[in-house]
Amino acid sequence: MSSMRGERMLGRAALPAASVPKTRRSRLRDVYRDRYLYVFLLPALAYFIVFKYVTLFGETIAFKNYRLLDGIWGSEWVGLKHFRTLFNSEDFWHVLGNTLLLNVYHLAFAFPAPIVLALLLNEVRAEWFKRAVQNLLYLPFFISWVVLGGMIVSLLSPSTGVVNALLGLFGVEPIYFMTSSVWWPVVFIVSTIWQSAGWGTIIYMAAMAAIDPGLYEAAKMDGAGRLRQVWHITLPGIRGTIAVLLVLQMGKMMDVGFEHVYNLQNAAVFSVSDVISTYVYRIGLQNAQYSLATAVGLFQGVIGLILVLIVNKTVKKLGEGGLW
Amino acid sequence: MVNRLGRTSLYVFLAVCGFMTVFPILNILAVSFSSSRAIISGEVSLWPVEFNAQAYVQLIRDGQLLAALKNTVIITAAGTALHMLATTPAAYTLSKKRLRGRAFFTFVVLFSMLFGTGLIPLFLLMKQLQLLDSYWAIWLPGLVSAYNLFVMKSFFEGMPAELEESATIDGATDLSIFFRLTLPLSKPILAAISLFYAVALWNTYSNALYFITDSRLLPVTVKLYQMLQMPIDSLLSGAEGASYIQPEGLKAAAIILTVAPILLVYPFLQKHFVKGVLLGSVKG
Repeated sequence: MSSMRGERMLGRAALPAASVPKTRRSRLRDVYRDRYLYVFLLPALAYFIVFKYVTLFGETIAFKNYRLLDGIWGSEWVGLKHFRTLFNSEDFWHVLGNTLLLNVYHLAFAFPAPIVLALLLNEVRAEWFKRAVQNLLYLPFFISWVVLGGMIVSLLSPSTGVVNALLGLFGVEPIYFMTSSVWWPVVFIVSTIWQSAGWGTIIYMAAMAAIDPGLYEAAKMDGAGRLRQVWHITLPGIRGTIAVLLVLQMGKMMDVGFEHVYNLQNAAVFSVSDVISTYVYRIGLQNAQYSLATAVGLFQGVIGLILVLIVNKTVKKLGEGGLW
Repeated sequence: MVNRLGRTSLYVFLAVCGFMTVFPILNILAVSFSSSRAIISGEVSLWPVEFNAQAYVQLIRDGQLLAALKNTVIITAAGTALHMLATTPAAYTLSKKRLRGRAFFTFVVLFSMLFGTGLIPLFLLMKQLQLLDSYWAIWLPGLVSAYNLFVMKSFFEGMPAELEESATIDGATDLSIFFRLTLPLSKPILAAISLFYAVALWNTYSNALYFITDSRLLPVTVKLYQMLQMPIDSLLSGAEGASYIQPEGLKAAAIILTVAPILLVYPFLQKHFVKGVLLGSVKG
């Protein structure tokens, strides 16, 4: 027993020395030495292989006529047939348009929200006040969209909702927020901000905390007011963080969170709220058009990946870190 | 530039933001305890009007939502354990620089982050494995979050190497180092990551919607969705129906019952979540 232990330690100590020839035997000995570590890795590795890579292989049914009986292997190849069907269908362009539009709204309104909030919170000197506000702002992030959606519908109800009751005090006729195709996107974006802007401040506040306080001191000496300090020190200090989050957000341009849309959606606003994720669910799982739905998903994934690569490159050219 | 006025308006603005964030929750709570008459006439805002707990009594008597809540408790408890059992040891292994194949295994995980899993291939896989209509269909698609795995791995990497070296010299094996040394020293990260998983499981929705059709197995989120969508007279299964209670109140009570556990442990959750996010963002 003790000699075995001695050997193990020797093996470990000898590892960094580059002069030791890496024979197959020594490699096997390393693997044997670390056998428990490999066992530790096994469940996670199996998960990634089966649920990430095998399912990636499953994407091939976008180029096949998938039939349950034939399975993924056995189904017949049809090339780009499903993509042709898609590009010729009005529904697809409609859904794609909605997805992009909601994401453009997101970039314009929801993306800057946590930055603005973080800048404001950063100016607060009273710690207790800052912490209290943060505690309130983070809360919706922990709640599921079913619950948030239920609250929104109740709040905005034309008959019993408090918002319309309030508007009524000013003589405004009840507004049908959830069923109006003009108001629905507004509700969607405001609810995004409600759910995630507070939580999003954490990462910006951490970046702000890392800024050298000496910079502010120097700026104060030079007579710069708070606003000028924010503009010349705080904002440049978090530019890298903004760039990284922007790249990540661009990768989601083709994607609108399923749970968020699905829980706010209703038949009256289908024309503005039907997005790729709800479309895939409908034609794929509800209508069992497996191959067509997979083609939509694949198209979405590939465009998303290309977008990330392009934006990452652009951000790097502008002198920021980017993702890799 | 920023004078007293500026400072005051900053504080007021932030206080208003904070209040507006929690107002919908307070409002739904007030509605759930108000009388039908008050709800219909739109009088309820912050406080219950004509206080009563009828809606809760009916929901509890009906039992459907409670049964779904019980399902969610099982899904969350067992699921968190499963996720942690798969994530923690793997993160430990990948943190060992001496491990042969480490770069390859890390790449396998990292590369998977570049693309999402398609819904249909995932569905067909689940069907093939005969896991539809079981909780495995909720747990397995997200068994290991690559993000959580890397956060934990970098935490393990940050632990002082001398500790482990001296333990090795004292004759400790990999297994005893992991269980006796690494795990006890990793409580903050274990707490943060378990809570990431637990909250996600409590709120689990789409996987259940996609993969579970047996209504006895549904988690509370999907059950709640069905109740929110249902026409007024079929909200409750029992014969007593919803005739004498305004369904808005019933829906509000169902919402509150679903979210109450999260709200009750929120201060605790929040503290660990923030810590976890900061641990994760250090190494990016």
